[in-house]
Order: sequence, then C-alpha cells, then structure tokens
Amino acid sequence: MKRIAIVLLILTAMSSISLAKVDLVTLPSRDTVQLTIYNSADMTLVRESRALTLKDGANKLQFSWANTLIDPTSLEMLPRTNADKIDIADLTYPPRVTNLGLWNIDSGVSGKVPVEITYLTSGLSWRAFYMGTLTEDEKTMRLKGYVVVTNNSGEDYENAQTRLIVGKVHILDEIAELARRQYPYGRPGQVIAPPAMPAPLEESTSRGRVMMEAIAGKSIRAKEVKKEGLSEYFLYTIEGTETIPNGWSKRLLSFNVDQVPVINLYKFEEERYGPSVVRFLSFKNDKEHKLGETPIPGGMLKVYRGAGDQGHLSYTGQSLFKYIPVDEDVELNLGPVANLVVEPKLMDFKTENYRFDRRDNISGWDEIHTFKIEVRNTRDINVKVEIKRNFNTQYWDIDYSGDFGAFEKVNLNTVKFTLDLQPRSAKKFEYVLRTYHGTREEDWRP
Amino acid sequence: MNDKRNKLTVIVLLLVCSAISHGRIKLVALPERAATVIRLDNPRATLIEEERVLTLQKGLNKVDFSWKGVFIDADSIRLRALDHSDKVTLLSVSYPPNEAALVWDISSDSDYAETVRISYLLSNIDRLITYKAIADKAETFVDLKSYLVLRNFSGEDFDKARVLLDYGEAFEQGIDHEETKQMLFLKSPKVPITKVWKFDAAKLPWDPEKLENQNVGIPVSYRIVNEAKSNLGEFALWGGKARLFQDDGHESTIFLGEDVTGLVPVGEKMELYIGDSRDIVVTQRKMQDTRVVTHKNSRGDVVLYDTNEQITAKIENFKDSVAELTMIQHIPGQWDMESCNMKYEKKDANTLEFEIQLPARSQAGPAVKELKMTYHRRHLRPGAEPQLPVRR
Repeated sequence: MKRIAIVLLILTAMSSISLAKVDLVTLPSRDTVQLTIYNSADMTLVRESRALTLKDGANKLQFSWANTLIDPTSLEMLPRTNADKIDIADLTYPPRVTNLGLWNIDSGVSGKVPVEITYLTSGLSWRAFYMGTLTEDEKTMRLKGYVVVTNNSGEDYENAQTRLIVGKVHILDEIAELARRQYPYGRPGQVIAPPAMPAPLEESTSRGRVMMEAIAGKSIRAKEVKKEGLSEYFLYTIEGTETIPNGWSKRLLSFNVDQVPVINLYKFEEERYGPSVVRFLSFKNDKEHKLGETPIPGGMLKVYRGAGDQGHLSYTGQSLFKYIPVDEDVELNLGPVANLVVEPKLMDFKTENYRFDRRDNISGWDEIHTFKIEVRNTRDINVKVEIKRNFNTQYWDIDYSGDFGAFEKVNLNTVKFTLDLQPRSAKKFEYVLRTYHGTREEDWRP
Repeated sequence: MNDKRNKLTVIVLLLVCSAISHGRIKLVALPERAATVIRLDNPRATLIEEERVLTLQKGLNKVDFSWKGVFIDADSIRLRALDHSDKVTLLSVSYPPNEAALVWDISSDSDYAETVRISYLLSNIDRLITYKAIADKAETFVDLKSYLVLRNFSGEDFDKARVLLDYGEAFEQGIDHEETKQMLFLKSPKVPITKVWKFDAAKLPWDPEKLENQNVGIPVSYRIVNEAKSNLGEFALWGGKARLFQDDGHESTIFLGEDVTGLVPVGEKMELYIGDSRDIVVTQRKMQDTRVVTHKNSRGDVVLYDTNEQITAKIENFKDSVAELTMIQHIPGQWDMESCNMKYEKKDANTLEFEIQLPARSQAGPAVKELKMTYHRRHLRPGAEPQLPVRR
C-alpha cells in the first residue's frame, strides 16, 4: 500500500487576481529507496530518489503522507544534479490540511531532475537474536546471529536497500509522536506534552508475522550482511534489496560461526544469586574465538546442546545479553543449576580484643569467622567457578588456605576466589575472616 | 492586503458632532494595509509594524483600530505619523467598552493623506530555529545548515510581509494563518568539530558488572565553536533542535542523534550530545574507605575524624580509533590528594577533571588505562558529613 504520494504542480499563471491556475504535471514514482533502521529508538531514516520533471520558473511539489508515521519536520529534498540552478525556496505546511508539505522550487532548468528525499519515520524496527549449539563436551559452540526486520510503518517498501544501525542514539522526541502532531512544529505557546512511554519494541515486533528467511528459488546462498563502524555505531548493510510489506517481518542470517571455544563458568554470590550456583557461558568477542569482526548487538540467545550422534538437541537455556564490543568478554547467564554445588559452612565463630569506654561499656571488638567452602562439580566436563564473598565492613583481614585457586580483592568489601575443577571432582578451601568493630576499627591497618 | 482573513481593521471616523448617540459610528473607507513588517528579533514576542494611509481632515479625527479573532496586547499598540509628524498629533487613546478596539484622537492642521505606522505585539506568531549537521566520515567537521521555521497561528493572514530577524537582511515572505514555513537561512560548510566522551562519576554507574545485561553508555558530544575560524562567528546562534547525520562513505548518511542547544553567543561553544558510546567502558571501584579518628569527646564519642580513601577506575577503549575521555570525579568536603597517577584539573572545590588520552584497540586487546587516586577527607563530623549525589 503506497501511502506516500508526490504531486508536482506547476504554477503557470500568477498574473490574474484570482487564484493561480495550477497544473498537475506528473506523479514521479520512487526509483530507489534506502532504509536505515535503528533499534535503540523507534526510528528509520528513509532516503528515496525520484526523478522530477521541472519547468523553468516556479514549481510546487506536494508531498503527502497520510496514514504513515513520518516525522514531517525531518523532510528534506536535495537535487542530485544542477544543484546550483535549483533553489528549494521553502517547505510550507499549508493551513487546515494535514499530512501534506509543499516545496516551493525555483528552477533554472527545464526537464527531468533527479532528487533525493529524506525523512525519518517510525514503525520499522529490527532486533537481533541468537542461537547457540554447544558440542556434547561443551567446549565449543556454533553461534548463529539473526536479525529480524519488521515493518509496521504503514508504507510498503519495495526493493529497498536495508541497513541496520547498532548503537544508542540520543533523541529528544519520539518519531511516532512527531508524526501524530496536528501541526508539524506545534503552535506558538503550545506546551508539547512529553512523549508517552515509548511502545516496547519487542511487543510491536512480535505482532508482525514471520516470513522465512529465504525465498525459495530466488537465491541459493543466504544474503551477506556487511558490517562497518561509523562514529559510535555499527552499520549493517544487507546485500541487495528487500521488499518488506507493511505488517511483515523478515528474518536474515547475520553471521554463522562454528567452534567458538567457550568456558563453562559458574558463579556463586549469595547476596546476588541466592544459594544456587548460576551457570554462565563465557567467551570473548575476538579473533581467537572466531569472532571479533564487529561488536555483537544485544539480544536473546537460546542455547542448545548436541545430544547423541543423530543430531538431536537438548535445550540448555537462554540468556538476554547486552551489546558486546570487540575484544570484550561475554558472560551469558543461563540461570541457576543444581549440578554444581558451592557450600559455604561457618565452622567457627569467636569474638576477641574487646575495648571498653570510660563507663565500662563495650566500645570495640573483633569478630572471627572461619568458613569452609566446598565446591563440587558433578558434571562430566571441566568447569570454572567464581565465588564472591561480601563483607559488611571495610575493616577486615583474611587468611585463606586449601584449594582456593586464585584470590582477588574486588573492592573494599568484596573478595573473589576463582577455581578450575576437573569433571566429577570436588575442592575445598578455608578462610578465616577477622572483622574490626567499634573503636577497634581505629587499630586496623590496610 | 489579503481579504481572506483580515482580522484587523482601521476605520477613520468622522466626528459628527450632532446629537449624542451612544452607538459608535464607524464610517469612511478602510485604509489599505501597505508595507507590513514582522519583527522576530525578540524570541518572547513578535512585533508587527504596518503602514496605512489615513485620510485626515483638518481638525480632530478619530481613528478606530479594532481586531477580532487575534490576540493583540492593547497596551503595545503605537501609532506614528510618517509624512507630517510635526503637524499631525496624537491627542489621546480611548478604549471602547467590551470591544477589542481602541480609538485614536488625532489632530491635523490640514487635510492630509497621511501614512502612519501602527505597531503592536501580536500573539501566536513566532519562529523556531532548527539545525541539521552532516559530519564527515572521520568526524572532523560538519556541514551545518540552519532552518528558520515561521509559525503563524495568530488568526491573521500575511500575504506579503518583510520578515526581520535580529541580524541580516529582511526578506519578503507571506504566511497564512495556521501555516508553517521552513526556510534555509544559514549554510556553513566545514565547521570543525571536536568529539568529546564524558564520564561523570556522579551520573553514571560505577561498576558495569553489577548491571545485568545493560551497557553503560558514555555520553558522546560534538563541540562547535561559534567563531570565524569555524566559518561561523558572525552572529549568535539561536537555540533550537539540532539533528546530526554522518556521511557513511557510500553517498548516503546515517542519523547520529539529536539534541537541543541554547543560544550560543559569538565566541562561545555549542555542545551537542549525540548518543552513547558502548565501546569505552569505565569500571570504577572504591578500594579503601577507612576512618581515622582525630578527636573524641569526654564520653569517648567520636566528634571529629578523617578518612583515607582510594578510588580506582579502569578505562577500556574497545574502539579501533583513539579517543579522549573527559572523566569527572567528585570529592565532597575538605580533602587532600595523597597520590594520583593521572593529571587533573581542579574545576571547583569538589570537582576534578581528567583528560585521558586513550589509544585505539590493538592486536593485544582493548587499550586500558587505570586511574588510581588516594586521598584524605578532613575534619568530618559524624552525622554531618558533606554528601555528593554519587551513584555506585
């Protein structure tokens, strides 16, 4: 459904007192169209080229966009040739008509003139999602990235060059809100209401029907997605052109990498995750992991594991993850597990070094907690376990012993033990924590 | 003048000194509005100046100025005779009851076809400014365009008017009621820009690891100086919405972001926040915060103490280009720096600003720098410590 219409009007007579006679000359169609779709905001930059037939002198070009979600304040037209002879005098939003703009063009040339029209629209969106398939030994993973483009803009875009922007742009107004305004720039004295909560993209995209990613018989190989960095963003350009009718979604393969080495990382932090160990899948967005070409846009990853040699799969879990820059570590939270156990046990507690004030009330003391931590890997694969312990004071000393792996002070009241465990093995370690309270804090030395 | 919608009328009343009648007599031909000027130099109010030729008779003349469907500040209405200013005198102004009108009593020493200038403040007509800037691929300059947007919702149609801004030449433009017109009025190619990344420890989360599946974006801005060196500097740049684009190297552009700028006087900087960088990651942590008691009262309560504090901030640049990060740290109250491994500028008593040059990412991974500062806060009183709105 074409909702955007362009009418070229040529003013042929201005002399008579009556209204100027207006001739309708031509309805130029879109020659090419390019969509640059953002996912951090409901916004798409549309660039279309059309060939106008101009006459020497004053020309009026009417552009209307009823039932679309175009931001009229973003409309711009530029001649591609004869730029010095064609003056786009102004863009008028006439009174008492809506969804219509009128360009006044003074042309020094007569004939066909290619022009480029750009504007921002709402209603087109894209999102990334991922499928990971772990090998049975869970040492490597096949990672497939997809992009799903959805068109709810009210306009059909045929044979459009489709580009996607990864990145977080700063915008002041929702394009959809600008598109709905009665007057493009509002009216003087009008307090423009702050935009309502933006419509959740996920919801709108889920409304669109999903079309299979390949059209049978058209192409033997999947389309390539070219990626390049621009400013703080990444631009994904989908090979060739796409036709996305209004209301439809389209899924395209963004990348497909096999044998990405992964670390089975387990984390334990009572204050954050409760008593269960949480499983993470860890890898790095770099060349060593057969990635690192571009950042990975945030999205949902569903993880499966190969089961048996018949190509069966078992579902491991899913994780929503954030944008991952090149060379950054990825940690995908797959949820709590029961097959890896971390058990901290308080083995001993005592207090000492009491201080008293002048009235013989207690003014300071030490507390000594002895913890034994047992880590059991019941799985038949190698795992890495991170155990974080948070203390309720910054005045502390610690002594640790046993199979504690690597120790690190994370910040003033958090420490971390990192252990590697063989399949079906267990490790134990112990730490003695002395905390200083009251006036005893004054005796503590870092 | 446009007769479609002309809500202002000027009538010269012949003073008929016959029987006293209560109704006001409106007589004589409507003087045509001649030159009209819309002055938009004050952003708070729009001044209209219009010239009309009044047929004055020798003696006392009453001129009725009335309006309907428009909002005019009645106290702002002024009249000035242009041809015989010494012979045509405005005697008084009266306001008829319950009418949007006023009557001028004008004395004339002869019969004149007098051109007068009537000026008044008209509501609901104004102008906006918008900017569109296209940066080159390397982000070293922008091609800056500025548009003037005239909005007329005054109730009055202006067929042709001279529009005046606070600088530059007046131009002729007609604009109808409820019409909006957008015109290009400034085009400055190759305006140099500086790209700025800014981490403010009081505004951004400290430890990204603690945020589940959220990136901490470092705000990115373009800085433009309104000066001759920047192909600008002729006049103050008005405030308005700016949309920034970037040349993508494929004869097209991408939209970078938008921001609103205030008025930028000549010589001053415009800073436009375009978006957030997720390729520069700052992980800030407090590694030490210990109290050193300096005085206790006779009951043994602490009444005065100092602190020893240490902050570390790891900065990672995952970009394949260099970047200069402005890092802002805050230390409340009285303090002494014990050691700091990076140079800073003290912006005020409690604000430290670091300019940190970050090399590009290399084969070995992201470029990493670490700020480590150890400082003492002095003379703190329990329960009355100075605070800053710091998010951890």
